[in-house]
Amino acid sequence: MELFIQQLVSGISIGAIYSLLAVGYALVYSVYNFTNWAFDGFMAFGAFMAFTGITSLFMPFWLAALFSIILTVILSVGTEKLAYSPLRARKAPRLFMMISAMGVNLATVNIINLIYGGVFRKFPIDTLQPIFIKGVSIGRMDLMAGGISFGVLALLWVFLYRTKWGLGIRASSIDIMTASLMGINNNAVAIVVFAVTGVLSSVAGVFYGIKYAVFPMMGIVTIKAMIASIVGGLGSLPAAILGSMILGILETMVSGYISSTYRDLFSFLFLIIILLFFPNGLMGKSSGEKL
Amino acid sequence: MGYINTIIILGGINIIAALGVAILTGYTGLFTIGHAGFMALGGYMSAIFVKELGVPFPIALLLGGTFAGLCSFIIGYPAFRSELRGDYFAVATLGFSEATRLLLNNTRSMGESINTAESGIAMLFKPIGPLLVKLGGVFGYMSLPSPTNVFVVVVAVILALFFAHMFVTSQYGKNCIAISQDEVAAQMMGVNLLKTKMIALFVSAFYAGVAGGLMAFYFAYLTPSFFTITKSSDLLAAVVFGGIQSLIGPVITGFILVVFPELLRSFAEWRLIIYGFLFVIVMIFRPQGLLGYVEMNFYFVRIWWNKIFRRGQTSQEG
Amino acid sequence: MSSEILNVKNLTVDFGGVRAVNNVSIQLEPGEFVGLIGPNGAGKTTIFNLITNAIKPTAGEINFKGKNILGKSPDRICQLGISRTFQNIRLFPQMTAYENVELGFHSAPQYSLAEAFIRTPRARRIEVDTRKKAMELLEMVNLKEHSHARASSLPYGLQRRLEMARAMATNPELLLLDEPAAGMNDDECNDLIKLIREIHTTMHYTMIMIEHHMNVVMDLCRDSRIYVLNLGSMLAVGTPTEIQSNPDVIRAYLGEPKND
Repeated sequence: MELFIQQLVSGISIGAIYSLLAVGYALVYSVYNFTNWAFDGFMAFGAFMAFTGITSLFMPFWLAALFSIILTVILSVGTEKLAYSPLRARKAPRLFMMISAMGVNLATVNIINLIYGGVFRKFPIDTLQPIFIKGVSIGRMDLMAGGISFGVLALLWVFLYRTKWGLGIRASSIDIMTASLMGINNNAVAIVVFAVTGVLSSVAGVFYGIKYAVFPMMGIVTIKAMIASIVGGLGSLPAAILGSMILGILETMVSGYISSTYRDLFSFLFLIIILLFFPNGLMGKSSGEKL
Repeated sequence: MGYINTIIILGGINIIAALGVAILTGYTGLFTIGHAGFMALGGYMSAIFVKELGVPFPIALLLGGTFAGLCSFIIGYPAFRSELRGDYFAVATLGFSEATRLLLNNTRSMGESINTAESGIAMLFKPIGPLLVKLGGVFGYMSLPSPTNVFVVVVAVILALFFAHMFVTSQYGKNCIAISQDEVAAQMMGVNLLKTKMIALFVSAFYAGVAGGLMAFYFAYLTPSFFTITKSSDLLAAVVFGGIQSLIGPVITGFILVVFPELLRSFAEWRLIIYGFLFVIVMIFRPQGLLGYVEMNFYFVRIWWNKIFRRGQTSQEG
Repeated sequence: MSSEILNVKNLTVDFGGVRAVNNVSIQLEPGEFVGLIGPNGAGKTTIFNLITNAIKPTAGEINFKGKNILGKSPDRICQLGISRTFQNIRLFPQMTAYENVELGFHSAPQYSLAEAFIRTPRARRIEVDTRKKAMELLEMVNLKEHSHARASSLPYGLQRRLEMARAMATNPELLLLDEPAAGMNDDECNDLIKLIREIHTTMHYTMIMIEHHMNVVMDLCRDSRIYVLNLGSMLAVGTPTEIQSNPDVIRAYLGEPKND
């Protein structure tokens, strides 16, 4: 029972990190209709910037996190300006957007690899003693990662549903042409969407780095986020979060009770099973294209 | 001479795998970043056929390719049936390839635990326990025969190109192109999306599997580390640079992308960085790639021929 | 009454609480040509989408040649003999005009996959035959000289005709035309009327046409009837003259007259 609760808490915290990533993908997808593959490089970039802030620039953790967020936002918005908006301007097919994003990702990950090397690094932060509640040890880092991730998601919700900017983004996600005709500034929406994406990837990168390790290929974990959003059901943020939680908990349970070696195999099998029995995900609706 | 042979063989193997990606990504519009997984499946399977079962090498290559093709249905069927958006299919390919590598990494320990198992589901796998140990996990599947040589590779490339041409110019291939251009319209005009995509995926994975087999019989050993996401990105790069809806383009770039890193060893760590920037630059300035949308009808050759020998008028722009 | 080729009964569809199509019924005899008109947003294209199963109805029945086709996949429905064009043209942009039409013939391949790889004489014969038939269709819609042009490079009016040829290539019995005259001037409309009439008489299709150009609809449906849709419901059915004098129709198009 102790193991179960420990794994459950750990699963929720990893699920929260997946949620950040899944929401980041969903946000860009809902407005621009392509999967921002560069996201996975951004995440590694965020983690490495925080890492550098602490180890080379001797920043305290909170400052390093801020440093990382700012730089990742700049990278994300810069990518949008240089790699995406020229393609959008000439209405390039989605495949081209994806390839461009894939290119940004390849370049980012491999530049990090060139500078820092491919080794796994421990995130330079003191491991806090776990809290014991009735004999169950609960990692403070898990609590922090889970707590802050949910905090960020809550802020994002407030931003999207309670502010004028959020309204603009939601309008653009329904129909970007009409939204711009109604006076919404497309460029500003793009900057805000990609800035938010930058924040999400940086926060996810830092926490994932703390929980596991910091390494150039760490961004590959974003496929878990995509699996999670397929499991939850495409096209809605709550579904992405639900999927992330289920996947996070499943993974930690597999690690705890079976073997951590086969954790990723289980996630993948889970995806295939879900697709076979729930073709549109657990909460998804069939997505008809407009004719 | 040995050095040139190496380049031709590795280049040829890459060409065959790149043709597979061209059929799926270039012609059908399905983005894949997991073809290394199909190469691994084909490679290991054909190695098993030759080494453990004594099947002749060419037949083993075809069986390996077929095995990779059949395995592709594990992701193809659920993903295409649920009409997953293209990008999520790419996730499925990546997940599949990573899962394959994970399994291969652990074949030895799996085999050992099956061999020593006394009860449970492991008993079902008892017959393949020793085989799994032989596959060697991360240590690799060692001392395979090595019949792959320049002649074999050149013949294989020619056949691969010929059959790829046959496929993409057939009614099946043309349906694939229609799907890549407008999936909804293709379906409304009567194209069975599930079936057509599964066929494209099968053919594509078959090519990757054969390439994997040739690789196994060139190096005379296989390890899962041959088949990482880097390999998949290389193959995707060959198609992106070579051109959408082109076979000759990916053939040329598929070869160049092997030759350059071999010639410029110091450039190795910059390779993927440069590919990355080139992806973006190509998409912005020349999205059709080197030879995109130039069908393999040798249109240019025909025009030159007509010009030189003045045989009939040149055909219209095609 | 079993002679109907298409029998749509009490078709209803809701989009997130909005009833886009409400209890619509349409019966067609083989070879008929009918018009479907109505103000913007009346649900005309939605009816085409329902017949071809691009969207699923909330309630109702669709029978084609006496068989229920509800829930069959769009490609299956096409193979059964229903083809269509699209309001916002959906050609395959990078394919040539010829290739677009050819696709209609081979969307269900006519030879096996093995034959595709080795291209047997039979497969080659089929290819040659298909080529001939595709060129005939292109000639019929006056696009023969553009057969090698990329679809996306054709002018708008030609793209609409190309879409018709592509739809015809699937060998339909029921052809659904969605605003074939959209964006055309009077001369072009007259050419189109001739073309559609020719298609109807030579190919013996049953046809439904959605159109906003009233002269086109009135002309083509002069021996037949027009369905008028408003806000998702069937407002009126009748001959062109009946429709033109129907007060409900006039009101739907021009708004409520002021009652002084």
